Formats: sequence, structure tokens, C-alpha cells
Amino acid sequence: MQGKRIDNEKIKAALNRFLEKQNHIALGFGKNSIFITHKIYRDHVDDLFLFNPYFSINGATFFYRVFGKDIKALMLLRPCEIRAMVELIKLNQIDPETAIMVSVDCPGAISLKKANADMPHDFFEIKQALDKNNRELRWACRFCREKRAVVGDAGIRIAEDRSMWIFPYSDKGNEFLGLIDEETIEFTGKFILSEGVKTEPFTTDMATFNSDFSKCILCKNCRDMCPVCYCVDCLFAGDEYLPKGDALINKMLRTGTEIFPYGKEIFHMIRMYHVSQTCVGCGACEEACPQEIPLTKYFKGISERLQNLFSYMSGRDIKEVIPYLTIKEDELNDAED
Amino acid sequence: MRAGIFICHCGHNIKHTVDVRYLSEYFKKIPGVVVSIDYAFVCSEPGQDIIKESIENQKLDRVVIASCTPSLHGDLFRDLLKKSGTNPFYLKRVSIREHCSWVGDDIEANTEKAKRLILSGLYAASHYIPLEEKMVEVNKSALVIGGGVSGLSAALFLARMGIKVYLIEREKELGGHVRLLNKVWPSMRNGKEIIRELIDEIERLDNVEIYTDTIITNFEGFFGNYQVTINNNGQERKFIVGGVVVATGFTPFDPSIKPELHYKKDKRIVTTLDLEKGIEYLELPKKPRVAILHCIGSRDETIGRSYCSRICCINSLKTAEEIKQRYPDSFVESFYMDVRAHPRGGEEYFESLQEKGVLFTRGNVAEIIPTDKNIIIRGEDTLLGEVYEKEFDLVVLSIGMSTAFDSRALGQLLKISLDKDGFFLEAHIKLRPFDTAVKGIFIAGSCSGPKDTEESINHGRASALKLFGMLNLGYAFVEPFISYVDPKRCSGCRQCEEACIAKAIKFDEKLRVVKVEEAACMGCGLCNATCPSSAISLKGYFDSFIADEISGLLEIA
Amino acid sequence: MTDKTEKAPEVVGFACSYCTFKASEMAGSLRMKYPEKVRVIQVPCSSRVDPAFVIKAIFEGADGVFVSGCHPGDCHFIRGNYFTRRKMAALKEMFKAFSMEGKVKLFWISAAEARKFIEKITNFYNELREEKNAGKKN
Repeated sequence: MQGKRIDNEKIKAALNRFLEKQNHIALGFGKNSIFITHKIYRDHVDDLFLFNPYFSINGATFFYRVFGKDIKALMLLRPCEIRAMVELIKLNQIDPETAIMVSVDCPGAISLKKANADMPHDFFEIKQALDKNNRELRWACRFCREKRAVVGDAGIRIAEDRSMWIFPYSDKGNEFLGLIDEETIEFTGKFILSEGVKTEPFTTDMATFNSDFSKCILCKNCRDMCPVCYCVDCLFAGDEYLPKGDALINKMLRTGTEIFPYGKEIFHMIRMYHVSQTCVGCGACEEACPQEIPLTKYFKGISERLQNLFSYMSGRDIKEVIPYLTIKEDELNDAED
Repeated sequence: MRAGIFICHCGHNIKHTVDVRYLSEYFKKIPGVVVSIDYAFVCSEPGQDIIKESIENQKLDRVVIASCTPSLHGDLFRDLLKKSGTNPFYLKRVSIREHCSWVGDDIEANTEKAKRLILSGLYAASHYIPLEEKMVEVNKSALVIGGGVSGLSAALFLARMGIKVYLIEREKELGGHVRLLNKVWPSMRNGKEIIRELIDEIERLDNVEIYTDTIITNFEGFFGNYQVTINNNGQERKFIVGGVVVATGFTPFDPSIKPELHYKKDKRIVTTLDLEKGIEYLELPKKPRVAILHCIGSRDETIGRSYCSRICCINSLKTAEEIKQRYPDSFVESFYMDVRAHPRGGEEYFESLQEKGVLFTRGNVAEIIPTDKNIIIRGEDTLLGEVYEKEFDLVVLSIGMSTAFDSRALGQLLKISLDKDGFFLEAHIKLRPFDTAVKGIFIAGSCSGPKDTEESINHGRASALKLFGMLNLGYAFVEPFISYVDPKRCSGCRQCEEACIAKAIKFDEKLRVVKVEEAACMGCGLCNATCPSSAISLKGYFDSFIADEISGLLEIA
Repeated sequence: MTDKTEKAPEVVGFACSYCTFKASEMAGSLRMKYPEKVRVIQVPCSSRVDPAFVIKAIFEGADGVFVSGCHPGDCHFIRGNYFTRRKMAALKEMFKAFSMEGKVKLFWISAAEARKFIEKITNFYNELREEKNAGKKN
């Protein structure tokens, strides 16, 4: 595997070189007054953190309908964020020429909700802190499918000997590697992160679902913070599935429903189906939920189950077609009941 | 909403298991329903008058007709609404006969079911929007695919009626299989002559363009305006036609599929089609013993051809007669399952051959063993229940019809479906035997199932006549059930474009939303089901219609 | 025949205009019988069935939903039912994860298969009825 051996300073230097050009921006992790969080760099990089011990939002959120001409945005983000970005490129929300996606090996993260300011920011220190106190690690991170920086245009990986490497995965990635002042050499060592945990297919029942979602107030924050919920106008804005006003009163009179707010199952189930092939399991929905409903368990579980049906993995490869948009004549021959 | 509900008794058909009186009273109380009437025959003239009067007097803007299935009387009621001055797409048909009164016996349960069906129809109708049937000009020209006897007959008829005809043929010569026939039963005329006559007549007309050695490479459009691209001997040509007659015929069954028949391995085993070239070349002895084997490639589940090819019994009889004529002292034996000499005069022909000494043995041949001296065949006589083993000098295989080898590809190009045997499927086996499901595309001849020469000519002419009726009008209405995009809601993700089967969705790079090419849209609704926000909707089947139809079906009454 | 105290399941079906709806018409014309609680919604093609409809129907009170189209390869819209097959397979997998397998069914019923239509929906209805009344006996 051909790559470049790097350190934090070399990446910074490359980024600064990248930002010299007009209309170039970079998105990575920086520090606000207290925590490490997403930060946009326009012309200069001073404090860059490759590893972020907190998860607040998915960095791909809000990158909908990005069609700026000649703009190049370099992203140094977690694999789950890059995977969401790849899905958004497939969904034509970002011009593939605009985004240069560099994934970074992820040690896992704690929820920003439960954050304390003394979390370290070095890969090994974060990993150690999380390993020591397993309780703090986010559910989504604990069952993460892909912590390795093997997605996007390039990936920054950590070797077992604690050295840091960057590997290109596409032409755009090669271009970025060209900005790094280092020779390309063969990497022969071993990486610290191995393949993600294989989990049993997710199974639950309606009783569990109902008790888990009993606290739902239908604020739809989970939808708003979902990186792959990209629609301009949501299906649930209409009256068809979540009736409002007169339609709701009618529904109550006609069906005698006693549940209010009405349509929790319908909302979550339909959304679960809608994101089933594109969900990257980042857990941003759960971070956004004010009621602390274990959303990741359901969304990640269902989406992995449904993706396995088509041997698909969201965000793995930009060339893979979303399964619902293509067919094979000879498949699923046992689908008929 | 001012809705009118009209519940049909259909004489006794609906009334006997559905309490129509109760229903019409019940719906009077539903908000938005202005008229609720039950009547003996809503489709009758007095019934239509009631609807018309109600629409005019009560200013109805939704009409729900609960009667037979929507595919019956659809145009009639739509026209009625048009005549009454409302948009015909404010009509909702609810099937309470085929889907309710005829399929259940319990009056109480049926009435309840009908109530819910009508209710869901009413809810769906409440969301209806007026749609426009676009009138399009119809090109008075036709494409005839296949220059066999059926295609020629169709082309000749259309051309005589003044329609511009493009006749295309895959082979180098017109005439199809009839051209190969020495004698065509029952007139016993030479096939070439019959074809020659048809071609001569066609060539005398100046509104027919004939392309031989030609295949269709592309086919798009809709009735009245189909754009056809052909490849004529390497040269590409394009033209616009109003309608199409498909007469691609058949492929004779190839007996070498069944190796146990030894066809092509032994000169003494021939097919009925081979014999059309004459018997002389076979160099038979003075008193030949000839076996004729029926149902080769027909009624045979083992090779997926369970149908009867309908022509081969007569062909066998004709072959027997010819051999008897040429060699009066010959011994001819026919091995059959059933002799189906169904055309007019066929039965008499069968009898006359029995009188001439042709032996008919019921029971298929199980084994053919060619030896140096002769051919031994074995089988079981199912009438006598005995096993036979006989020697012959010549074995004639009476072959059936297989589908044309490229019919599946052509079907996909024209978007017409095939039946289980691979023949083109008619729209309705009894009521619309010449139509396909696609408007303006007709089928003729044995491409829609085995037919003899006479039937093929008739079929070709009938299809041509039906097409002529549609073309001659000069205009047509396009069904408005196509997709449309709400540009404000479209996220420009292009999922619908990727999935669209007809490739009718195009992405507008400037506005970054998709748009529908109306002429190309087939109206399946796949895009609607693919779009996560339903920004693209299928007219007539909006999310709101179906969602409320579901609600209506599941409501507590 | 039926026990009055028994709870009858509600079944909603989506039938494509060109195949299954035609089969259901034929079943009617042939006066075949099937449970009254089975009700069919006509859609132009099975690919018009948004899985959201199925989810909506299930959570608004249907005990079972079936989607039925033409046999694979026979779609009037050429390939529509292949898309249906993918979507419904995924949806069924989802319901399986919620231990609700058997509530959603996918059938291929051609216009000529009125008998198959009756068999499929009657079996489906009976399965649902047994499930709904399980443990009620005695």
C-alpha cells in the first residue's frame, strides 16, 4: 500500500497550501472556547485537531444542494461523516468535484451531551480514556461498522507503531497528497484499527419499540439532524401521514385514535425505511433527541439489516448505486410469498 | 366539496347481497355528500340522466359511482361527466360488484365492505384535481412489422384506405413462411403465387414503402406519434408513424432440440416443411413405407410448448395425401394424439384420407431407431393398449410453431407483453383480440399464437381495420395519468431519474430540479414511490389519494 | 361457520391494474368467494406502491397488507415489478426485524390467475386470523 508518512504539522502545512487558492475552504475539527468541534478554515489553519473526542452533529449535515462553481471544500472528518458525504454525492446534493473527502481513523467519541472539558485529543489518549471507562463511549461508536479511514478520497490511518499515514483512494485524493511535502513510500506495517464489530441482525418487537418511543414528542429533531435526510420538503410536512389541523381532528373523529401526538410509529417507521439504504449509523439522530430515545439502535440496526440484503454498505464507494434505484432480473427469487 | 354518490343495483347482481338502500341513506349523512342515490342500472340511459341532472342541478364537483369494476363503462361515465359540464377526472369508480357483491355471500358483511369501499372512494375523490386530456394529432401513417401473409394483408388494407404504410421485413424477401409452401390447403394453390398476388397489388399503390433486410433499432413515442428508427441493410432511417401492426410470425419448430428424433442426423427423417420442396429428392423406393409423426414441438411440456400449434394436423394430412398421390402403392401411417382438423372442411379431408388408405394410429412414438435398412419406430397404441414396433423408409415430423426468435426483444422495444408461451399477448382474449395493451399497437397473424394461412390473413386485415379506425379520426386523447414534478419540493437528488424505466425524467441543470417528458412517461408511478418526499407525483394516483383510500378502508364505522 | 366472538383481521391489498386487479375482477366474474375483510386498492403498477403506504396501513389498523403485481418479467411497464420486489423484500426484512413477519406479503398474480388470487389471499387471511385469535380459545 503506497502512502505518505505524516504528522499533524505536515497536514497543517498541506492545508495551508491548499487554502492559498481562492474559493478553497477546509472543514475539520478545531476548538471553540471549551470543546473541540467542527471548524471552517477559510484562509489559514492554526489549530487543527485530527481527532475529536466529542460527537455533536454529523459534519455532512447541511451539505445539501452545494453546487458552487469552482469551489473546493476539503474535509478532514470521521469515517461516518465522510460516508454520509459519499451518500449525499450519490444523491446529487454535492458536486463530486467540490468535495475532497479525507477520512481520519476514529478512536470513538463520547456524546457532547455528556461531555466534560478534560477529554484528551490525541488518538491514543482518547482511545485509552474510552477503553478505561467504557460506559461513556456512544452506543453508535461502540457498534461502529467502520472506524477505519478507508472511505472517501484519502484516508489518514494510524499504524501500530503510532506513526500516522495518509493513503490516496482516488484522483482527488492523489491531488491532495501532492500538497504534502513527503515522499510516497510503501507501507508494510499493521494498522491499529481492525475491522468493525460484526453484530447479529437487529431484532426487536413492537412492545419494545412502543416503550422506547413512548417518550417521543414528535419534534422531528432526529430528522433535521440526520445527514442523509436531505429533502427540501419532508413527506411529513403534508397531511397524508401526519395529519394536522382539520385533517387531524377528522382522523380522531373517524378512527377514534387516543394517541397524541398522533403518528409516532408511522413517522419513525417511514423515516427508517427512507434512510434504510443511506443511513451510516453515526447516531446524530440520538444526539439530537431531547427525550434520549435510543434511536441509533433502531435506525442503525434496521439499515444494516436492509443493506445486507443487497450486499450494500452506505458510503463505501461512490460508484455503488443505491439498491432501490437499480435491479437485477435474477435475484430475490424467494421474495414472493 | 359537493359530492354525489350513485350506487348501482346492477339489477339483482349487487342488490342481492348488498343493502343498497341502507348505503344510500348512510352516505346522505356524510359531510360533503350532496346527493346519494341508489338506482337499478346506473349505466342505463335513465340512470345516466339521473347523474347528469344531479350534476347540473346540484353543481356536483365529485362523482362517486359504486357499480361494476372500473374497467367496464369507464369511457361512458367519463363522457357523461364531460357532457354534464364537469371535468371527467372528478369521477371515482368504486367496484362493489366484482370486488364485493359477487365474492361474498353474507349481506351484513358485504354491506359493511361496500360502505368502506365507497367511503375510501369518497375520501380519495375529495383530493381529486381536474386533469386535462390532451388532444394530439394523429399521423395517418402506419408501420407494419413483418412481410408475411398477415403483414402483407394488413399493409394492403391500410394502403388501400389511404394510409401511408411502412412495411419492414427482416428477411431479404417478402412472403414469410407461406412463400415456402408448395401447396396451401385447402385451395392447394402455390404459396409463392398467393404472395406474388399480394405483393403485386401492394406495389401498384404508391403509398407503401417496403424495406426488406431491415430491423427496428429504436421505438419511442405514443399513439399518433411513434418515432421509429430502422436499420435497413446497414443504413439507418427514421420515420414517424401513427400506429403499428406487429406481424412477425413464427419460427418453425426445430426438431433437433429433441435429439431422440434423430433429425438432421438421418436423411430419411424429414419435417413437413422440408417436404414442401418436393418428395422426389428423397429417392424413395416404389412402394415406400412412410410414418407421419404428429405434435412435434406441440403439446409437449418437456420442452415448454404445451400449446397446440393448430396447423400441423392439416399439414400431416396434406403430406399423407401427397405421398399417396405420388406413390399410390405406398403405406402411410400417421401417429397422433388427437387429430384436430378444425378448419372448415378439415374433418371431411381427414375422412377422405382414411378412405384413401392412410392408417391412423393413436399413440405417440416413443422411440426412433434408424438402421441401415430402414427406420424402426416403437410406441404404444393407446386405443388398443398394445406396444407396436414398425419399420419405415421415411419418417415425416409434423412440426409445430415456435415463437419468432426475436419476439422477446421486439416486445421489450415496443413495450408489449408476451404470454407464457412467448407469443404476443392480446389486450383481452375475447373482447380485444387484436389490440395489445399499448394504444395503437396491434398484433396480427401467428405472432400472437399459432394460426393457419386463412386465419392469418383475416387477423391481419382485422388489425389493420381497427388501426385504420383509430388513425382515420386524425386526433386522439392522451391519458393524463403521467408524472409531474412540484419544482418547489424537488431536492434534485435524481433518484427518480435513475430509476425511471422509460427514461422520461430529465434533470434541469439550471434549476437543479427534475422535469418529466410527458410524451415519454408511461405512467407507472415508480418515480412517485421512489421519491422520499413525493415531490414527483403520478397524476390520478397522488399520495394523498391512496393514503386517504387506506384510511377509508380501515376506519371504524 | 365463523364464530361471532372471533376477531376478524383487516386486510388491505394493493393490486396492479394490469395483472392482479384483472385477476380480482375475474375472480368476481367467476363468483369465487373470499373473506369480506379483504379489500383491494387499485394502483397502475405495483411499483407505484410506496412502502410508506404499507407502513401507514399497518399502523392504522390493518392486520395484514399484501402487494401484488405481475410475474417478474411480465410487467406492463417492463421492469416496474423488479423494483417492487427490491422494495418489498427490504420492507419485509424490516418488519421481520420488528417480529412482525407475515404481516406484509408480496404476490405475483397474473391476469389469468384468478384461482391463485383467491388461494393466496384466503391463506393470508386465515394465517392472520389464527394469529389474531391465538390463545383466545378455551
